Amino acid sequence: MLETRNLDKSFGAVHVTRNVSLKLERGERRVILGPNGAGKTTLFNQRVGEIAPDTGQILLAGEDVTALPVAKRARRGLSRSYQKNTLFDGLTVEENLALAASVHAGLSMTLWRDALQSAQVREIVEEVANQVNLMPYIHAKVSEISYGVRRQLEVGVALATKPLVLLMDEPTSGVGPEMAKGFHDLLAGLPRDLTLLIIEHDMDLAFAVADTITVLNYGEVVFDGLPEQARGSKLLRDIYLGAWEDA
Amino acid sequence: MFRHTPLRYAALVLLMSGAVITAFTAGYFGMEILTEILILAILVLALDLVAGFGGMVSLAHGALMGLGAYAFVALATKGGLDPWVAASAAVAITAGTGWVIGAICARSHGIYFIKATLAFGQMGYSYFFEQPFFGGDDGLVGPGRFDLGFIGIDLNDSRSFALFCLAILGLAYLAAVAILRSGLGRSLTGVMHNEKRMRALGLTVWRVKADVFGLSGAMAGIAGVLAAQHIMFISPKMLHWTVSGEALVVVILGGLGTLVGPLVGAVAFVVLKHELGHVTTYWHLFVGVVLIAVVMSRANGIFGFIEARFGPRTDRMIQTIQTRNDVKEAAKDA
Repeated sequence: MLETRNLDKSFGAVHVTRNVSLKLERGERRVILGPNGAGKTTLFNQRVGEIAPDTGQILLAGEDVTALPVAKRARRGLSRSYQKNTLFDGLTVEENLALAASVHAGLSMTLWRDALQSAQVREIVEEVANQVNLMPYIHAKVSEISYGVRRQLEVGVALATKPLVLLMDEPTSGVGPEMAKGFHDLLAGLPRDLTLLIIEHDMDLAFAVADTITVLNYGEVVFDGLPEQARGSKLLRDIYLGAWEDA
Repeated sequence: MFRHTPLRYAALVLLMSGAVITAFTAGYFGMEILTEILILAILVLALDLVAGFGGMVSLAHGALMGLGAYAFVALATKGGLDPWVAASAAVAITAGTGWVIGAICARSHGIYFIKATLAFGQMGYSYFFEQPFFGGDDGLVGPGRFDLGFIGIDLNDSRSFALFCLAILGLAYLAAVAILRSGLGRSLTGVMHNEKRMRALGLTVWRVKADVFGLSGAMAGIAGVLAAQHIMFISPKMLHWTVSGEALVVVILGGLGTLVGPLVGAVAFVVLKHELGHVTTYWHLFVGVVLIAVVMSRANGIFGFIEARFGPRTDRMIQTIQTRNDVKEAAKDA
């Protein structure tokens, strides 16, 4: 569904992505682990088109999208959520979701209809609001809801474009263990044919939701396999805890 | 997202009745001032559409209005077209020009956007200033006003012309509301709040900006056609950036991003200009002081101040009345 072939990117002398090849099957849920600065988000940004890779290819549903701009990739079914909330702050939860849904419904450029009133958009908004438990806050402004609820909305907005592939950049960043547990359930409730690629710091969450796990370190894929294998892996322990042992 | 609140409806009714009453009571000079306000109001509506709802602060709107005026006059007098046809063509030309300016400037933001639109505006100004075909700095004499004889209206009568401008302003306002409530307008609001996210959701951001800038350009062109008919003479001054700057002052004075505010601003600005103009030639100085006071008050212009002060109260009042009626009806049903 989503594939990267020999992706490579440097910022000056910093080699942030080193020859990364990854392939996600339809419906696969893959978690990317790696310490801070491993190049996880940079890899994400190249996939969605916010950053251009130096070399390598990105394929979406079998087609080369390396040269396509962000918006075109999004319309082909590639959606993302951000590590740092990137919402429409002055608007309500409903309006946030509806803006995303109206792009999917092809109503974002029309002069003759109010996209927010269209039956198709309202249906998507309701469906997504239920999926990510936003119904109680649907009419609240983003500025009026808590940080945790905003994290839910962050994923909700990405879901409202009805993507084929959803990339989530640390969906549980900054929320407590209680919320993180809620996120397990939320992810478990998403349609099985939706391909998920999740950047995560929380190992427990990663093991709970992942079909497969990729570990990045210094821009390089150092592990690619099943969660069970990752759990026992000495390599993974060293990457995450090695610094502590050295100190 | 743009919404009509009870307070906004009330302000619209007040402004509208004020205009009608003035049209029927004012003398010749008052009528001229009224018409000036109405035409300026159309221009600032166009500007609020892009600046207040799309974050596109334009200094090209005076030039777009001037382009509309020149296109109309040239097509009607030199091209010999019927005034209605000439006016429609002029509006189409400003819409197209607006679209191109919007498309080119779409990638720049903030001060750079302002600078880019300023450059386009001044290019237009220099062109008409230098071009002998358009009369250079002498300007052109207009073809006169529309002929509404077929419905028994003579627009050469200043009251009829004022009411005609009021009707066009009403239509422009309805058009602006329709644009803001359309899918395109909603997307524009999304772009203003978070352009990056809209792009990530799959929106072709530059197209939305260009389309709305084009529609806004059409509206500015309509103001230009009316202005050309109002004073029956046009000069390159109309395209000068200070006209755009003044329009921006009016929008900010009235309340950016409220549609109703700029109308209030247009009234305040023109009245201030004429009243102070009687007293002193330094009237700009006083308008400046008023503007600074409004900006320093941290309210969103005059209407923004009124909304912040009385908006919640009127909303509550309406709500109380509604609940009271609901209770009454429930009691009746029981």
